[in-house]
Amino acid sequence: MSIDNRSIPVAVERAAASDPSRPRPTGQEAATPPVDFITPPIDIHEGPDGLILEADLPGATESSVTIQLEDNVLSLHAQVPSPAPEGARTLHEEYRIGDYHRSFILSDEVERSRITAELRNGVLRLNLPKAERSKTRRIEIKS
Amino acid sequence: MSGMNWPRRWDPFRDLQREVGRLFESLEPLQTWRLTRQFPPINLYDASDLYVLTAQLPGMNLEDLDLSITGETLTLKGERKRPEGVSDETYRRQERQYGRWTRTVSLPDRVDSTQVTASFAQGLLTISLPKAESAKPRQISVKAAV
Repeated sequence: MSIDNRSIPVAVERAAASDPSRPRPTGQEAATPPVDFITPPIDIHEGPDGLILEADLPGATESSVTIQLEDNVLSLHAQVPSPAPEGARTLHEEYRIGDYHRSFILSDEVERSRITAELRNGVLRLNLPKAERSKTRRIEIKS
Repeated sequence: MSGMNWPRRWDPFRDLQREVGRLFESLEPLQTWRLTRQFPPINLYDASDLYVLTAQLPGMNLEDLDLSITGETLTLKGERKRPEGVSDETYRRQERQYGRWTRTVSLPDRVDSTQVTASFAQGLLTISLPKAESAKPRQISVKAAV
């Protein structure tokens, strides 16, 4: 199943092999990415409707970003072209050029059909709305 | 001493190795990178008749960016603003940096400051700095001595 959100596709899958009975805290690293990928810094905060994840992906364009949600593992991937002019010599390098990759385990039940993603000025913003049944409910105490 | 036949279940050295491995794993790749990282990270390239400087500035707006050049010194200033209306308690994870920043770059040679151009797209700032005539490579013809 694939849901199009704006122009960034979010692929949502259910994997048979993983174990959903052991949920881990949100934001915990799902798997160590391969060495040559760049790990983008991220922020995760709780909004009124669910979780909001922001990742710094400078240089990434909407067509180069892929977001995949497989069971409760969310993974981000983005390809970035080199900003260096053809044939230029590197004099000083503080950041590496390469593909961004990061994956997380989401502990909360997410309403998959309402996930939205947008990319602005190199920042990816993912809205992960909470599923209805995992929302906090106020329990009234009757006297 | 042939009776010293320990079961191979408990091996403190192997446990230690595993602990050390875990320690390094937890430091890599993000933490070491965060400790050494300056904001914004800058790359500088030499494209024969010009220098190209790129800086990663995700989430910045053009109006919050200030560039100036004096001789061979390029100064970049700006502010990365925190998202509004998000309180600290709602963060589950925070790795991105915010605040005011200044970076000064000494270029390897003189540039033609009137020809410097900058562009900003996808959170990436690119500055093209054409080299000054005096700094460009020059062919020197050698005359044969009579």
